[in-house]
Amino acid sequence: MKFGHIFAEAFRAMLANPLRTMLTMLGIIIGIASVVLMLAIGDGIKKFIDKQLAVLGSNLILVQSDTRKSPGARARTGTTQTLTIDDAEAINRLSSVAGAVPVLNTFSQIAYGNTNANAQVQGTTSATFVIRNLRLGAGIGLSEVDVTSASRVAVLGKKIAEELFYKNDPIGQSIRIDNQSFQVIGVLDNEGQSFDMGDVGQIVLVPISTARVSLVRMQTPRSVAYIVAQSKTAEGVNEMVRDIEEVLRDRHRIRADDPDDFRVVNFGEIAKQGEAIGKGLAFALGFIGAVSLVVGGIGIMNIMLVSVTERTREIGIRMAIGARPSDVLWQFLIEAIAICLVSGIVGIAISMGLAAAVNATGMFELTVGVRAILIATLFSGFIGVFFGFYPARRASKLQPVECLRYE
Amino acid sequence: MLTDSTRTQDGNQRALIDVIDVKKSYVTNLVTTPVLHGVNFSMQRGEFVAIMGQSGSGKSTLMNILGCLDTPSGGDYLLDGKQVSALSRAQLAVLRNKTIGFVFQSFNLLKRMTIQDNVALPLIYAGVSRAEARRRASQQLENVGLGEYGQRQPNQLSGGQQQRVAIARALVADPPLVLADEPTGNLDTKTSVEIMSLLTRLNREAKQSIILVTHEPDIAAYASRLVRLKDGLVLYDGPAATGLQQMRSEQSEQELGMPANEVSE
Ligand SMILES: Nc1ncnc2c1ncn2[C@@H]1O[C@H](COP(=O)(O)OP(=O)(O)OP(=O)(O)O)[C@@H](O)[C@H]1O
Ligand SMILES: [Mg+2]
Repeated sequence: MKFGHIFAEAFRAMLANPLRTMLTMLGIIIGIASVVLMLAIGDGIKKFIDKQLAVLGSNLILVQSDTRKSPGARARTGTTQTLTIDDAEAINRLSSVAGAVPVLNTFSQIAYGNTNANAQVQGTTSATFVIRNLRLGAGIGLSEVDVTSASRVAVLGKKIAEELFYKNDPIGQSIRIDNQSFQVIGVLDNEGQSFDMGDVGQIVLVPISTARVSLVRMQTPRSVAYIVAQSKTAEGVNEMVRDIEEVLRDRHRIRADDPDDFRVVNFGEIAKQGEAIGKGLAFALGFIGAVSLVVGGIGIMNIMLVSVTERTREIGIRMAIGARPSDVLWQFLIEAIAICLVSGIVGIAISMGLAAAVNATGMFELTVGVRAILIATLFSGFIGVFFGFYPARRASKLQPVECLRYE
Repeated sequence: MLTDSTRTQDGNQRALIDVIDVKKSYVTNLVTTPVLHGVNFSMQRGEFVAIMGQSGSGKSTLMNILGCLDTPSGGDYLLDGKQVSALSRAQLAVLRNKTIGFVFQSFNLLKRMTIQDNVALPLIYAGVSRAEARRRASQQLENVGLGEYGQRQPNQLSGGQQQRVAIARALVADPPLVLADEPTGNLDTKTSVEIMSLLTRLNREAKQSIILVTHEPDIAAYASRLVRLKDGLVLYDGPAATGLQQMRSEQSEQELGMPANEVSE
């Protein structure tokens, strides 16, 4: 007996009882959809993190002031030490540091002619372009001179430039940030999300000196919100963190047994944590998938056993006219496999639909890859074999006389 | 189908069926019920044999053994010269497929399958391609007068038509032997006559060997030879006409209240 023929018979048997077949398939469908989504989420998170690291630059850490934990230190020194531009420069001079930039942030109204937009304005220095991998689509970036002379210049993110200027050339145009005039000198080419800039396409970069003078009013003139530093190598991040802690404790005159008045945030670690959360989510989905596959598989086994009993007479007739035990075994095994494969295909289709729905929101990218489809298909076939074998074997062991006597 | 060696006449011809002292008992709940007590019976190619006997006399039990659907508890059964008890289940399936066509009392067609595919199924199991199997099935349906019904489902046919389909299925692989256990048991008299005429024609024209089980003397009369079973033993084996005559006289004796002479037999 040929396989094509057995498959045709398997589909006929499935269609003979469509509702029952569909209910049987449900467990496998859910299981396969979960497994495919698990793989897609795993891939998606990896891509998301890679993309973020590419945007924000790798081997970055962030230094924030943190005085909550050190009231003692404050009391002794009598001053509220915050991070300053001088701290940033001191960090920049460390041998393990590739670059360090001080940052001041504000959320401001940006206007060009009659067009208004709200955006995050980040005051920083020219080194930010290097350590964050920022590329220019047009014009030039901030220079050291811009910072020292506090020029009123701005570099716009790609999206906000489009929003304000539509198709016109923004370079050299004058915009107003919080009603103060700035000249656009460059437009970024980057896309994506950054840990402290939000959507890079929506950012406005200005010299930190200008930001402090015109946009952000600080009590202490040289204070900054935080400092971002990049280590020279990936392996050097921990060493750099130690160097930074040492130099800042020294500069802030913190005694040996007093806690730090700043905090170092390691983005590599955060990315790893994000990855771990993603893995956790994927694992949970994988677990749901595995459970529904096992439950679904048992359901299939159960239905196949019922089917074998219901079709005892049919088995007897087939054996009488020449079906060998192996023919009967294949018939039922292939029926179970066919149910699982169809369920697998439906599950893949559903997960693709869900992935498309998630992608449509634009927040996260899920791609159901060839690898996921292959794994899911193989897996559903395997479940068919695993849970279909016992009923099929049972059918093949039936005695023809007894089957023919069965009512 | 017939080879030269089997076509040679008389004693040196290899019998199609040789049943030698076959015994069969069923074991249920540790109780052994003997059914066949040692049946001896042989059959040449081209014969048309009717088996009769009271209900429970073991006719179906014997037919199941002859059809290789069941194995004897004792004795030997040779089908076409082959010792059947030596074969595996898979080999028995192949033997049934090639050697035996079954016709059942309850037709036993497969639901959800067209008439044509039902008839083609033995060929499919024999490894014939689907197109060829369907072609030969259609031919066989023509042969039993149902050429136009190939695409119907079994439940769209009358009982008599279904039994003709079953006969077509039994014949499609060209087996040397057809076994029919009460093929007219579920049919009315007129339809029974149609079925029996068909079987008789097959026996006369195609030299088809047929074994038929029946309760009705009118049906048995179509056969040329009669085997009567009683309590698991052969009571009569000989020409059908003589055997049926004997049965009639036994019956009238019983009706007249004369002492039954079964005891002396
Ligand atoms: N599977 C079985 N298990 C136990 N006993 C059985 C089984 N099959 C048949 N028998 C017994 O064997 C005896 C013969 O049965 P069989 O079916 O051969 O009779 P039969 O001659 O075909 O009768 P009928 O004319 O009613 O069909 C009966 O007494 C029956 O009860
Ligand atoms: Mg019977």
